[in-house]
Amino acid sequence: MTKNLRIKTSKFIDETYKISFKFNGKTYFGYKGDTLASALLANDIHLVGRSFKYHRPRGIMTAGSEEPNAIVQLHNNTSRTEPNVRVTEIEIYDGLEASSQNCWPSVNFDMGGINNFLSPVLPAGFYYKTFMWPASFWEKYEYFIRKSAGLGKSPMEPDPDIYEHRYVHCDLLIIGAGISGIIAAKTAAKNGYKTLLVEEKSYLGGSTIYQNSEHFKINNQISSSWLEKEINEIKKIKNLEIKTRTSVAAFHGYNFLLARENLTDHLPLEQRNKKTRQRLLKIRAKKVITATGSLERPLIFDNNDRPGILLSSAIHKYANLFGVACGEKNILFTNNDSAYETAISLYQKGINIEAIIDNREEIDSKLIKEIEKNNIKIFKGYTIVDTSGYKRINKVSIMQLSKDGQKVVGSKTTLNCDCLGISGGWTPAVHLFTQSGGKLKFRDEDQVFIPNIYPSDQISIGSCNGEFTLDEILSVVPTTLKKFLNIKETDYENLEVQSSFNKSKRNIWLLPSDKVIGKTKSFVDYQNDATAKDIKLALREGFRSIEHVKRYTTTGMGTDQGKLGNMHALGIISETAGSKMGELGTTTFRPPYTPLTFGTIVGRNVGEYFDIFRKTPIHDWHVENKAEFENVGQWKRPWYYPQNGENMHDAVQRESKAARDSAGILDASTLGKIDIQGTDASEFLNRVYTNAWSKLAIGKCRYGLMLNEDGMVYDDGVTTRLGENHYIMTTTTGGAATVLGKLEDYLQTEWPELDVYLTSVTDHYATVSICGPNSKKIVSQIIPDLDFSDESFPHMSFKNSKIGKIKCRVMRISFTGEHSYEINVQANYGKSVWERCMEIGKEFNITPYGTETMHLLRAEKGFIIVGQDTDATMTPIDLQMDWIVSKKKYDFIGKRSLYRSDTIREDRKQLVGLITENPNEVLEEGAQIVADINKSPIEMLGHVTSSYYSPNLKKSIALGVVRGGKNMMGQKLIIPMKDKQINVTVADPVFLDKENKRLNA
Amino acid sequence: MFIINCPYCGEREQSEFKAGGEAHIVRPKQPTELSDDQWAEYLFMRKNIKGIQFERWVHSHGCRKWFNVVRDTSNDVIKAVYKMGEKPPTKK
Amino acid sequence: MLNYTNTITEEKSYSGLQMKEMKPIMKLIIRGKKREFLSSIGKSLNLLLPTEANTSSRSEKLTALWLSPDEWMIYSNETLSSKNNDYETENLLNDNISKKNLGAITDVTDQFVLINLKGDKIFDLFETGSPFNFNDFKNKKGSVTQTILAKIDVIIHNQNQNDANLFVRRSFSQHLFSWMNDSASRL
Repeated sequence: MTKNLRIKTSKFIDETYKISFKFNGKTYFGYKGDTLASALLANDIHLVGRSFKYHRPRGIMTAGSEEPNAIVQLHNNTSRTEPNVRVTEIEIYDGLEASSQNCWPSVNFDMGGINNFLSPVLPAGFYYKTFMWPASFWEKYEYFIRKSAGLGKSPMEPDPDIYEHRYVHCDLLIIGAGISGIIAAKTAAKNGYKTLLVEEKSYLGGSTIYQNSEHFKINNQISSSWLEKEINEIKKIKNLEIKTRTSVAAFHGYNFLLARENLTDHLPLEQRNKKTRQRLLKIRAKKVITATGSLERPLIFDNNDRPGILLSSAIHKYANLFGVACGEKNILFTNNDSAYETAISLYQKGINIEAIIDNREEIDSKLIKEIEKNNIKIFKGYTIVDTSGYKRINKVSIMQLSKDGQKVVGSKTTLNCDCLGISGGWTPAVHLFTQSGGKLKFRDEDQVFIPNIYPSDQISIGSCNGEFTLDEILSVVPTTLKKFLNIKETDYENLEVQSSFNKSKRNIWLLPSDKVIGKTKSFVDYQNDATAKDIKLALREGFRSIEHVKRYTTTGMGTDQGKLGNMHALGIISETAGSKMGELGTTTFRPPYTPLTFGTIVGRNVGEYFDIFRKTPIHDWHVENKAEFENVGQWKRPWYYPQNGENMHDAVQRESKAARDSAGILDASTLGKIDIQGTDASEFLNRVYTNAWSKLAIGKCRYGLMLNEDGMVYDDGVTTRLGENHYIMTTTTGGAATVLGKLEDYLQTEWPELDVYLTSVTDHYATVSICGPNSKKIVSQIIPDLDFSDESFPHMSFKNSKIGKIKCRVMRISFTGEHSYEINVQANYGKSVWERCMEIGKEFNITPYGTETMHLLRAEKGFIIVGQDTDATMTPIDLQMDWIVSKKKYDFIGKRSLYRSDTIREDRKQLVGLITENPNEVLEEGAQIVADINKSPIEMLGHVTSSYYSPNLKKSIALGVVRGGKNMMGQKLIIPMKDKQINVTVADPVFLDKENKRLNA
Repeated sequence: MFIINCPYCGEREQSEFKAGGEAHIVRPKQPTELSDDQWAEYLFMRKNIKGIQFERWVHSHGCRKWFNVVRDTSNDVIKAVYKMGEKPPTKK
Repeated sequence: MLNYTNTITEEKSYSGLQMKEMKPIMKLIIRGKKREFLSSIGKSLNLLLPTEANTSSRSEKLTALWLSPDEWMIYSNETLSSKNNDYETENLLNDNISKKNLGAITDVTDQFVLINLKGDKIFDLFETGSPFNFNDFKNKKGSVTQTILAKIDVIIHNQNQNDANLFVRRSFSQHLFSWMNDSASRL
């Protein structure tokens, strides 16, 4: 049944290497070197998918990354499935399975095709207009719209492939290895530039490499042969790296570019395992040369979207590069000379050309003469007004154009065909240039936008810069390179170039039809089914800005980002609105130039590398002893240690009780530790903390509260005076890095006169905290040489000592209200110290506890946790911590803000204790607090910040912030919950041992 | 992402740095002498210029030193970098 | 007696790359601005501190890395005993620098883990996770940089051709080493 349209061997196709693949379940064959597109065309398959909105049958239209129609799902229902793959880019491999998208039940019979007949009632903006009201119905609409919209299917299983990132630094990046890119690469690399040349295709040489016509010669060699020699030469240059299958996705400021290097997508599936599939290159280039070429424009006429309609240049490429004929009865339709290159190529290969339809009336060039010599019929001054053939074009109707090109005249002629090549001239691929911030200018003579103002050290060369012909490229590019690379000479001076291309063109953005526009379907954006009619409708409805028209009609918004039709959309808008093309601007071309897989974007930032985590020196012990972990900043901290299948509540109750009744042990290594040295260390602490430090004796510890300049609490912790000019500060676990940063900021910028040095020592120490009435007995066995008597070693003091030969520092400080000690030892001995404590503490039932118990214990004592009981709106006065704010100090960070009109308000939210009426009722943290439940609107007074069931007090306790709470002691308030109201009483935030008896017990 | 020329370490990628807001806002030497309005001026009021802006940056993942940057916020071009305490460059 | 537990227990080897932790290595952060600070360090240690950015200097026993205009790291060239943590160099500098108020000396022996890398693929590995431009760095013996690798702060010292030392904070070291192994396995 299927025809073989492989016409002639091509050196790019290895006919000794046959590859079988499946398309829509059926097996086909192709050869190594084929893309899926060329292999399908060789099997006479044009129909590949259905359009997005009208579900019209669509075929392969291009031979490159600009393809709007022929996108498929690869390996459907497997973990490697990928939607929206352009058949024009994917190289075939053994085992390839592709299927059509956006159609049900099949591409040949698609139920959604009914939208095509409904299209008169589905104009631009249909969804916006119809589903806007009532707003509450959106959820219902959405379900149905989502079901019918969307192109491919996203994978449902984890991606089995590996993706990586790599940073690349080079002197020069060249994007595109067409003739201009090759010339640039050789010139730059030979002149000492460390050069990277990237090319999105698997081969080098762009479209010149398959240019086999006698009409294009360099130094008397056919241009492809000449270029082949150049390519062989550059492969030998040492400081030139060449990457094929690598497409630049984004061109950012400072010559920072992102490119995707495709490493395994062309390999048979079984050869891919454990290899990196794609690599995201993060390129920093001192200079960039953009040589991205140009894209052929389609022509806009009624029913210009049928399968079998391709760009003329694509037909040329399929014939020359892949040895495939796109049809047996070919018609070409053009407004410029490019189609004649295609025609000559087809003719030479014996592929039948029925006719050429040319918009232009008067044409004369060597190419055209050759066509005429071979008796191929040319309709000069004609246009196509309609096509037919539902799943494959079979006829075109043509009429003569009026002199001004606005109308068609005369009678209609119908021509049979099975393939139509269209050529509307060329659009420079300026996408990356504009992404980088470059400004374009409009060139009237051939209606193209070309680079004008460069925002960084970069240049565009070749056809992406509007130099379209071989002779132009070879005369302009070397001159441009000499200036850009600051060199005197290139290998490309005085070349003898023969180029028969005539630049004449008759540009008509929307070709006239014998029908009224409302009856036509002239597609501008194929993938989104936006037609010329839609654009005109948008203008009629008052849209003027190109960006608004784009969004209203969805022109240029598909996976192809309107690479083909954007220029026509602009042209139609400017013609209809009567404005000049250049003044209208363009829509913004955003990265990525071609879609990237999520895998490439995230690279190895998946699984265990998704986020960084930090471990304490005692981490392994916690793991061995079955701790549950909590993330605190980047740290993994033991949360609680469940025993015998305990749940969290039971474990925390047990741990809390043990800590108060006998002994608890906590890994406090995560607390930030900053070593402070210098003759002005005391003065520095005076300025950064709210309380006074000058009189702290050597060997003593003090709790400090740090504010922001706006008076709000920022961090807290205990600082110890180790020597005359030497302190060690502890910070909260999460705040360590920002506190150090802030302190450095003040030292370097506000107080450079202070002699103070800060060094982080967080990771140098392991900190083991032992609390409870038996803590002293345990530590005195671990460090028998040290005098632990209250006289010698009172609360809030420290001692240097040794465990064996290892130096350690012991602090008697407490965050639980219990008598407690912290042993600080060099990190690599931390686990051993912990294990000693566990061993010696055994007789006292020493109980390891995690962060949850720590939080409970400190809440019993009313100690705050910065970041839990405070946010960036709490002053120390709000926290009822007036005692820590020095009245005597002239200044400290945040002092002045404490008596701003706002911070002295009596009705600020203030920290209070909350006692529930029912002692067993535990409040939800974050729950709102109100006084009057019947008031409308209900007035929120504050919220619960910390809440626990205290096993030591045998009741529920909570901390919260309440507006004016300081003066509400004893007052009853309400916590309204979803299904109940909880009555609470405002209380003192210190629930246990107000007299601090336990600290010295 | 920019490349910032740290005055101490040389050219590095922006990800090694943190921005610290507008430069040359000096902390008042005697905050207690200021009215609420004057203090608020220091505390809260910042310019947000489209064009040439003087900014503070810190090489947080490098030498940890603060310095000043002159940046054109309309195109992110950095016109100059200079150390803390040095005079800002005058317009050229 | 306390046991010594370092973080990275394995030595890893790939084609063109070997990685292992060196321990115990004494490490000090020394800070100072005064001229007497520099000269006193020089006399005490018989080692001139590097004042040029991103460079290092070396004596028989010690290596000094430039970290900032007033900050250096000094580390011992050889591994020391793990039986005690009383370091001669630290004590000497405490006497000659800290006590004389010339600057600050801070022991960071366990703050940083030193991972030694050997082989011709060291910088290929770094390029998979660091934005730093190693092009000139790798050709310059003794060069030093503080930068980011896999989102983690590191100090890299290019000791010799195909021989680099990497310093990372202890709490990050297992995560980073795991990442380095993952990346190295595909180089």
